[in-house]
Amino acid sequence: MAALTMYPESERLSAGERAAFNLYMISAVILFVLMMLLGVIMRMAQGTWLEVPPDLFYQFLSMHGAGMVGTMGMVTTAVMWFFLRKYVNLHLWAFVANYVLFLLGALCIIGAIFLGRYAGLWTFLYPLPTHSMGMWPNASGAWFMIGYLLIGVGMLLFYLDAAAGLIRKYGNLGRSLGVQWLFGGTIDPEHPKAVVASTMVIIANSLGILAGAVVLVMYLVGIAYPEFKLDPLVAKNLTYWFGHMYINATIYMGVIAVYELLARYSGRPYAISRPFLWSWAASTIFVIIVFPHHLLMDYAQPRWVSITGQIISYSAGFPVFLVTVWGALANIHRSGMRWTMPSRLLILSMFGWAAGILPAILDGTISINRVMHNTQWVPGHFHFYLLLGVLPMALALMYHVMGSYRNQAPNSGADRLGLPLYLLGGLVFTLAFLAAGHLSVARRMSSHLPEWVFTDQMGAAGAILVLLAMIYFAARISIGLLRGPVSGHAAHAAA
Amino acid sequence: MIAGSVAASLVLASPPARGWLESSMSAQMLLQLPLLAAIGVCSASAIPAAVRGALARWDRWGISGLLLASMTSLVWMLPRALDAAVDDVGVAAAKYATVPLLIGLPLALSWGRAGFVLRGVFLAETIATCFRLGWLYRVSPERLCSNYLLDDQQRLGDWLMVIGAALFLALMGKLLLGRFDFRTDAQAQEGRH
Ligand code: HEM
Repeated sequence: MAALTMYPESERLSAGERAAFNLYMISAVILFVLMMLLGVIMRMAQGTWLEVPPDLFYQFLSMHGAGMVGTMGMVTTAVMWFFLRKYVNLHLWAFVANYVLFLLGALCIIGAIFLGRYAGLWTFLYPLPTHSMGMWPNASGAWFMIGYLLIGVGMLLFYLDAAAGLIRKYGNLGRSLGVQWLFGGTIDPEHPKAVVASTMVIIANSLGILAGAVVLVMYLVGIAYPEFKLDPLVAKNLTYWFGHMYINATIYMGVIAVYELLARYSGRPYAISRPFLWSWAASTIFVIIVFPHHLLMDYAQPRWVSITGQIISYSAGFPVFLVTVWGALANIHRSGMRWTMPSRLLILSMFGWAAGILPAILDGTISINRVMHNTQWVPGHFHFYLLLGVLPMALALMYHVMGSYRNQAPNSGADRLGLPLYLLGGLVFTLAFLAAGHLSVARRMSSHLPEWVFTDQMGAAGAILVLLAMIYFAARISIGLLRGPVSGHAAHAAA
Repeated sequence: MIAGSVAASLVLASPPARGWLESSMSAQMLLQLPLLAAIGVCSASAIPAAVRGALARWDRWGISGLLLASMTSLVWMLPRALDAAVDDVGVAAAKYATVPLLIGLPLALSWGRAGFVLRGVFLAETIATCFRLGWLYRVSPERLCSNYLLDDQQRLGDWLMVIGAALFLALMGKLLLGRFDFRTDAQAQEGRH
């Protein structure tokens, strides 16, 4: 079965494709290191190991939040592109245009924060990002939002190009999602899971981007025309719709690496099934309407919205999560898995996603949210599945591509040391957040009460380990990708 | 065709039609402007092939045409422009000339040349604009036009929201369940490379 060829010819990168892929991946690992450095500084500041003035702390937090979410979006887009291009016709210009617009957007955001002193964080509540009480000029808030708009336009271009490819091949997005097989019929066993997941992401994230395109421009109108006031609750709903969808989409783009690669390392086919199609179809709808779980404590919101938020939270991520983790476990059980860097990272990602989703679902429960809302429980759960779930998915692909250049999966001694360091640091770091949440430590605060500081210090210690491991991964991956195919050894002849 | 377009423009410019179509903000924006643009769309078939060919060279993938139509629409979306078109004959004449010629006509000529991605961006932006303007008109505390009252402005806001939602649902329906024929769409193929 073709899917079990470790380095299929259809995945070969032409010279142009390799340049674009390297740009994405190397930029991403460098950005991850820089954003983690900011994270470590913030955690050390909360833990009183470092002196950081509050205004600078909130600038760092704004940069870290927007930077991490944006970089995760960029790197998982590259994962989706890498695999989807095998099945449908994707244009390199759209992939590159997304990168260029991402960079322009990132420049606007960096300028808004470090030149314009913007410190209103990555998702803000109206009337922020303006009305800063003199902390930063309105123009900085405007530049920050223009940065978001540029990133959104880039993403939309890439999604539209992918949608065109899918429609050309499958007829429409319903068929590429596999809805024709939901109620019967023989499922085409060759229908790629990457196609199903990509379709879901295109539908859901385009809606999020559209919501963002509306609300961000309205914020900008508000800057130009101050008498115009937005309804704060509507603005919050749209902002969270857009932010929540964007970061969720990274999981669903990243997981394509698991679907595509796991079977090759376990040596056992990972078949598509009706429950798989059902779960993705259901999640396509649920993920669009799940964001009200961010607004459970907004009492002005009608009750039914909160209740829907809770019910949908349970059902949104769950189906895809269950079929994926179940499918992955079944796939590797007694398979004689080849334990190399890509396969270890894939398994780590399944663990991170599985373990991180539990505190997430707890927090989406109204009675628990009453206590945990806006505590560090929240960064606890999302760092869990972003740091230990989604990021390893992307790293797995990078290592896999490096393997294709030598026709051998990477597995050096340093790799074997770096990964446990990352895992150990990541666990200490995220559990410290969860423990702090348990103690009701408020999130998004530059300084903490003395009773809380030990959790901050524990978190900082874990974070330093993560940072060290990430610096190693970044160097190893950048060098490995830049070296390119080793002649005579590469699985694919150099293009 | 040209004669028909001129006749239709004259009918729309006649005092009774103008009076009625400019009696409310909603009628001006949602009836008069689209009718004028439709005249431009219908006139496209009267353009001689040689002129079309010459224009096509400046309109690769339909980008220039769609950009021109968007930019001109931007002007005629502004409340100030709608207002001035009622008060000032010069501005009214500009509206009667530019909406067919710089919105309708380029749309008709360029749509076929535009590929899937460009059409998608254009439609997404149209939907977002309906929601943005609708929102603005609904909640703006002031009258934005001196010729139209606040309730008229808010009604237009409601309409724009409804139109945005309808366009959005139609587009989603088409993408999810619709039929597409890329083969007959020669320009879309051209846009691939
Ligand atoms: C070494 C790794 C990391 C460290 C040390 C770190 C540190 C931090 C800290 C201290 C906060 C503020 C918590 C608070 O509210 O008190 C934070 C927030 C956040 N982090 Fe990280 N982080 C790391 C990795 C990541 C990764 C991989 C991502 C995602 C891709 C991420 C995304 C975020 C986001 C979205 C926020 C929320 C910002 C906000 O509340 O506005 N972080 N991080």
